[in-house]
Amino acid sequence: MTAQDTLDIQNLRLSFRNWSGSVEVLHGIDLRIARGERVALVGESGSGKSVTARIVLGTMQETPGARVSGRILFGGRDLDAMSRTERRAVRGTAMSMIFQDPTTALNPVYRIGTLVHEVLKRREPAITAEEARRRGGDILREVSIDDPERVLDSFAFQLSGGMNQRVMIAMSLINEPQLLLADEPGTALDVTVQAQTLKLMRDLVESHGTSVLFISHNLGVVREFADRIYVIYRGRIVERGPTAAIFEDPRHPYTRALLAAIPRLTGGGIPEIAERSDSFLAPMVAHEEVMG
Amino acid sequence: MRILTRLSIRLATTVLVLFGVSVLIFLIARIIPGDPARIALGPRASEAQVEQMRRTLHLDEPLFAQYAHFVGDLFRGDLGISLYTNRPVTTDIAQFLPATLELVILAGIMMIAIGLPLGAISARYRGRWADHVIRVLTLMTVSAPSFVWAVVLVLLFSYYTPLFPIAGRIAETITIPPVTGFMLIDTLIAGRWDGFLSALHHVFLPAFALSLSGIGQAARLTRANMIGTYEQPYIEMAQAYGFSERRIAARYAFKPSLIPSLTIIGLDFAALLGNAFLVETIFAWPGLSRYGVGVILQKDLNAIVGTVMIISATFLIANLIVDLLVSVINPRIRYAERSE
Amino acid sequence: MKRTATILLGNPLSVLGLILVGFVVLTALLADFIAPYPDHAGAVVDFVNANKPPSAEYWLGTDVVGRDILSRIFYAYRVSLGLGIVVLSIATPIGVVVGLLAGYIGGWTDYILMRITDVFLSIPPLVLALAIMGLLEPTLLNGMIAVTAMWWPWYARLVYNIARAEKVEGYVLAAEIIGGGRMHVMFREILPNCVPAIVTKMTLDFGFVILIASSLSFLGLGVQAPTPDLGSMVSEGTRYLPDSWWLTVFPGAAILIAVFGFNLIGDVLREVLEPD
Repeated sequence: MTAQDTLDIQNLRLSFRNWSGSVEVLHGIDLRIARGERVALVGESGSGKSVTARIVLGTMQETPGARVSGRILFGGRDLDAMSRTERRAVRGTAMSMIFQDPTTALNPVYRIGTLVHEVLKRREPAITAEEARRRGGDILREVSIDDPERVLDSFAFQLSGGMNQRVMIAMSLINEPQLLLADEPGTALDVTVQAQTLKLMRDLVESHGTSVLFISHNLGVVREFADRIYVIYRGRIVERGPTAAIFEDPRHPYTRALLAAIPRLTGGGIPEIAERSDSFLAPMVAHEEVMG
Repeated sequence: MRILTRLSIRLATTVLVLFGVSVLIFLIARIIPGDPARIALGPRASEAQVEQMRRTLHLDEPLFAQYAHFVGDLFRGDLGISLYTNRPVTTDIAQFLPATLELVILAGIMMIAIGLPLGAISARYRGRWADHVIRVLTLMTVSAPSFVWAVVLVLLFSYYTPLFPIAGRIAETITIPPVTGFMLIDTLIAGRWDGFLSALHHVFLPAFALSLSGIGQAARLTRANMIGTYEQPYIEMAQAYGFSERRIAARYAFKPSLIPSLTIIGLDFAALLGNAFLVETIFAWPGLSRYGVGVILQKDLNAIVGTVMIISATFLIANLIVDLLVSVINPRIRYAERSE
Repeated sequence: MKRTATILLGNPLSVLGLILVGFVVLTALLADFIAPYPDHAGAVVDFVNANKPPSAEYWLGTDVVGRDILSRIFYAYRVSLGLGIVVLSIATPIGVVVGLLAGYIGGWTDYILMRITDVFLSIPPLVLALAIMGLLEPTLLNGMIAVTAMWWPWYARLVYNIARAEKVEGYVLAAEIIGGGRMHVMFREILPNCVPAIVTKMTLDFGFVILIASSLSFLGLGVQAPTPDLGSMVSEGTRYLPDSWWLTVFPGAAILIAVFGFNLIGDVLREVLEPD
């Protein structure tokens, strides 16, 4: 079973050392993503969802003062057993990431074409500029960019946020990674643009067979996207199950609070969880897993 | 197109500031206690001679008219006669300025070529020993005037280990016909490769002494800017794509940090021009310094005003060039229009 | 304030800076008591002991007329520190007022004041000071005027930038709405926000004033003999290189110690007081 999972996180803990001792941020997370599966990790800011993505990526481990324990199997390989160099080799090739604000995540002093070329070099160091341009053009067309030539010749600040988001999706998939980490993708964008690009991303990962770990604070956003959902609260998974099950039958009090906070119409923004409640600390609820 | 607009705005501002400099210098020169005519002629001149001089210098006219004469002469490239050398000030400056500029330009190149990478290394290894060493060293280089560094370098590398010449611009055995006044260029024009190397050998130590505090400034500034850049999302993005730390530093963090750094480094050019006075004294460099100090001690009004005007103009032009350079590097200025 | 002190005392670099500056200030204040030859601050001549290398009697050697270099360095610190205090206590208020007026009032006031500032900034500082010194008599007082004239624009620039950023902040708008006058808003609301930056800059500048003043006197245009001055000491000594190295090296090191000390403190202060 492990062999067919793209990602298998077991008892993941994270703590930070500071002057006065150490603070635990993640208290033992278990999470699995099967090949080609789209999984969402949902919780408010500070719940530990973003650091989880960065631990999978391996950048958190390089942060001074951070202590990570537990097992992370990526395609059956133990990430902890890998050297720093080996882990870096995985990034950008077998694993890639999409960030919250596409415009600030694209380096302002290079053209999109150059950035695409750089990313392609991660898998094929010898790739020529012409070949990179051709491949870049192809993938940009896949994210419904009609005039890829112009986009390749542009700088990020010359393009709209939605356009940059498509560029970022394209870049993240161009090396055919097994796993895509998406950290609040498009939260910085208009709600309608965000919805459009999410649909695009969904279609694309589906056709490429990419597994996705989708990090969000908004259950509403992941409804159309994810096969399964993990709800995280203060460094603990409180409920997990297929998307439909979570929406139809939320059993954990915190999940219910999150669902109640989904903006009714189109309004974006961070849903406010009105109160902290002791009931949020109730044990985890696991729905029957229908692996697909 | 954006660049042209920007350039013309900058050019206009420069002219305006230069005009302001002329007013400032003119005012300083006129409000000094004592009669410039009397100062120019010395205490033994007769009252009639002084009166004659007052008319020649237009000192008998109202202040505004005096300024008009001053600016009029300035536009004709006439800075008056130096009382110190009895030659036109422009001739004097034309003779001494190239040597100073040669020194300053080379020091500027060293400042950028050494200072920027040092700052980048410091930022890349932030908090580690390389960073601490660079920070302390660069803080030391900005903490002593260039004449102190010049003395230290001369002692170490000219007297104790005679690697570099103590003074002069070129070996005495080599004679180069002056064309531009820049020894490095004139030797090449004369086709004297040995002369070029000798000139380079002579200019190296003074230029390095002059550049030391600039290197410190540039490194400290680059470090600060680059640390700011490291907090940008596009750096995390580069890390997420698995680029090596070295590649991230050199390609993703350095270039964006370069833009704000270069702008300020243009301002540091002013310090180089001023400090050249100090370094030239130690190395007996035949530049503007000896002339400048000479005319100041002689109260040579025309020459002082002329020298200050020329140095300020040089500084403003240097800044203009830096600004242009920055606009070329910075795509935000080159392609500010937003498509789509 | 307390936090600042804690951080200054907790960072090895600023502790070194405090030690160096403490040394400079103490020797300057107590020169009369600790200088081995207090009378050597003046025009004393002792040709028997002229140009002697460092020894037990003269720790840092003697100059060409036989005066103890260590004693003269202590007295020179006194002159340098006095100069720094005078220059900064004149230049800072001028710069602050100009910067506040230009930044807060804006419009033509802004344009005219800042263009005047630009004019001063576009003459290389040392050259401006040189020109002023050249046109005036080279005395200590005129030296102070010259250095002050080149210094205030930097404070104007600094305060101007902060004032412009702060004037659109909520607390300033609130003060205006409840009827705070221009003077009140400028000096009571905006100025306190400039204080950390001003303090940092003054600490760093104290060192740089010493540096510039020594440069002027190095060129023979600053403090005049027999008043001891580090710049003139180096300048006299260069004629006796390389044999009488102590004539230049020790006064040069004395400048470095003082300026480095102030810079170390200023550097740490900057990180504490201006987090961005």
